[in-house]
Amino acid sequence: MFRTDEIIKAAKLPPEGVAMSRHIDYIYFIPILFVTIIGTFHMHFDLLAGDWDFWIDWKDRQWWPIVTPITAITFCAALQYYNWVNYRQPFGATICILALLAGKWVTIWAAWWWWSNYPVNFVMPSTLLPSAIVLDCVLLLTRNWTLTAVIGAWMFAILFYPTNWAIFAYSHTPLVVDGTLLSWADYMGFAYIRTGTPEYIRMIEVGSLRTFGGHSTMISSFFAAFASSLMYILWWQFGKFFCTSYFYLTDDRDKTTKVYDVFAYATLAHSDKAKLSGGKA
Amino acid sequence: MNAKHLFKHFVIGFCGVATLALTPVFVDTTPAFAHGERSQEPFLRMRTVNWYDTEWVGKTTAINEVTELKGKFHLSEDWPRAVVKPNRTFINVGTPSSVFVRLSSKVNGEPMFVSGPMEIGRDYEYIIKLKARLPGHHHIHPMFAVKDAGPIAGPGGWMDITGNYSDFTNPIKTLTGETFDSETMGTATGIMWHLFWAAVAILWVGWYMIRPMYLIRARVLAAYGDEILLDPMDRKFGAAMLVFVLVVVTVGYLAADARHPVSVPLQAGEAKIKPMPIKPNPMVVEVIHAEYDVPGRALRFQLRATNNGTEPVTIGEFTTAGIRFTNAFGSTKLDPNYPAELVAAAGLTMDRESAIEPGQTVEVNIESKDVLWEVQRLVDILHDPDQRFAGLVMSWTESGERLINPVWAPVLPVFTRLGA
Repeated sequence: MFRTDEIIKAAKLPPEGVAMSRHIDYIYFIPILFVTIIGTFHMHFDLLAGDWDFWIDWKDRQWWPIVTPITAITFCAALQYYNWVNYRQPFGATICILALLAGKWVTIWAAWWWWSNYPVNFVMPSTLLPSAIVLDCVLLLTRNWTLTAVIGAWMFAILFYPTNWAIFAYSHTPLVVDGTLLSWADYMGFAYIRTGTPEYIRMIEVGSLRTFGGHSTMISSFFAAFASSLMYILWWQFGKFFCTSYFYLTDDRDKTTKVYDVFAYATLAHSDKAKLSGGKA
Repeated sequence: MNAKHLFKHFVIGFCGVATLALTPVFVDTTPAFAHGERSQEPFLRMRTVNWYDTEWVGKTTAINEVTELKGKFHLSEDWPRAVVKPNRTFINVGTPSSVFVRLSSKVNGEPMFVSGPMEIGRDYEYIIKLKARLPGHHHIHPMFAVKDAGPIAGPGGWMDITGNYSDFTNPIKTLTGETFDSETMGTATGIMWHLFWAAVAILWVGWYMIRPMYLIRARVLAAYGDEILLDPMDRKFGAAMLVFVLVVVTVGYLAADARHPVSVPLQAGEAKIKPMPIKPNPMVVEVIHAEYDVPGRALRFQLRATNNGTEPVTIGEFTTAGIRFTNAFGSTKLDPNYPAELVAAAGLTMDRESAIEPGQTVEVNIESKDVLWEVQRLVDILHDPDQRFAGLVMSWTESGERLINPVWAPVLPVFTRLGA
């Protein structure tokens, strides 16, 4: 079904090397790459979009669909660069969001439920997995990061609200308490006391995006799509910057060349390695 | 033994001693029962919100039972320059997590679900209805949160909740006629969707995990480019996955919309709360001089008081930062349920204990003296760049009517007993 045999043959590794490469795959992929993404991306995301994702009464029509995709697409783009350019693997965005949600659910269970006793529905995170899978699919199908930035990143942001409406639609059900109209989400935010988070901390439903014909969600989503596209381009370049390896080689005539083919380093003779004039490999 | 060995032994020994010294820090798992309210600077606690009549109704509550936290507060005229004015405020509750569910919060009879402005120099009455949720012995404070300034803690009192958390429910009827339980509503649906998308994502990544992932592909890519690596099967799978995800998202959206057709956006208005009407007060007071006696742990102030009423008035209490200093007369007016650790029952002395007669103007030297100044860390006023105090002086007419007068003034420190 797959071209696996052909690829292994082309790699020109002995059987032991192939077996070892699979061990390296697993050791590198799960304990190192996945956990590293959890640690870094989770922190990055929570610092920038944390409150919108923690609390049900922050998930508004305006800022939630703007802040969340723009913040989340960053590491997705960088990881896509790393996985695609070095290995032609189209799962950089998905693995990123999977790791983010793994960290999120650890936090929800350990910090919010077990430690702080808030009910899970109050701190239910949003999901960006469909957006991430679509972003990966677009990269795989177009094989072009510019098209992915235009089509994939737009879809990444646009899909966010409808995806999560399936989870949070109920929280916009109206109710009346003490003669005041509230959404269920507002009531939850009021009922479950957060000592250090008074109501005015919420950044919801403020700003001029709310003034265009009442279609706040659509306008916010399209704005998020545009910004996500730009953010994708920026973070793809970050990925490129941090993933590019090279070394400098000085030949017999003392001419120094910057060599990007780091595999070539392994094939250099010992005497040639001695001629390296610095740089990193 | 040379110097290097000596140094090594010193380092090892030092690390050992440090480990022993730090061990109690790590093994001490005694729970913390309060919220660090004493760490709030005195100018915040004394010169912003002057709390009074605070009541923790029902010191012991069973799970699902409703109790109240209520009281009044005066926003001090001496509001510090360093604190943002109360243009957007919220009455909150200081609790160790949501041990109670807040059913209702009213300020001067108006519901306060969202924040709103309040006026300096005016009084407000709050009643917060609380439903017991988590069993335990909890320290509960009223809190006044000011945007860009932070939460200002009121006096803390202990409330006990008995029973089992598993019995807790909080059903609320919505405008669509459904009944939602705040503990569980939406949890199963949310978890189901998260698990579903996680399974799809794992399938997507797993599709590539079952084949060589990194090293081999990198070698092939470097040697031959990506022609071999771009498997046609992957493209077909990718196209199918793309369509599948779009279909599921659309169906999920439409199904949720059909299930919950009536929705409103999050409500983000502003509470419009009028202050309590100003009550005629025949007593007029003014602080002429104030000083804090450091070794004596006493705040002394000279008060010029005029009684413009028709009945004699007797001073009985000075309260600031939720701490109540009373004399023998004032202690008879104390609510016995008020936390004893916040009361200096004989902490107030005056050089003139007798009543102020109608029409009389007197100068009274008042001393509020107690170790509470130290314990509650109010003595830190002396380290403030704006050394002032504020509080409420309470007096009573002969017929029992209570008169409340806000007071405030700069404070001069007295560092030695000789200066006292």
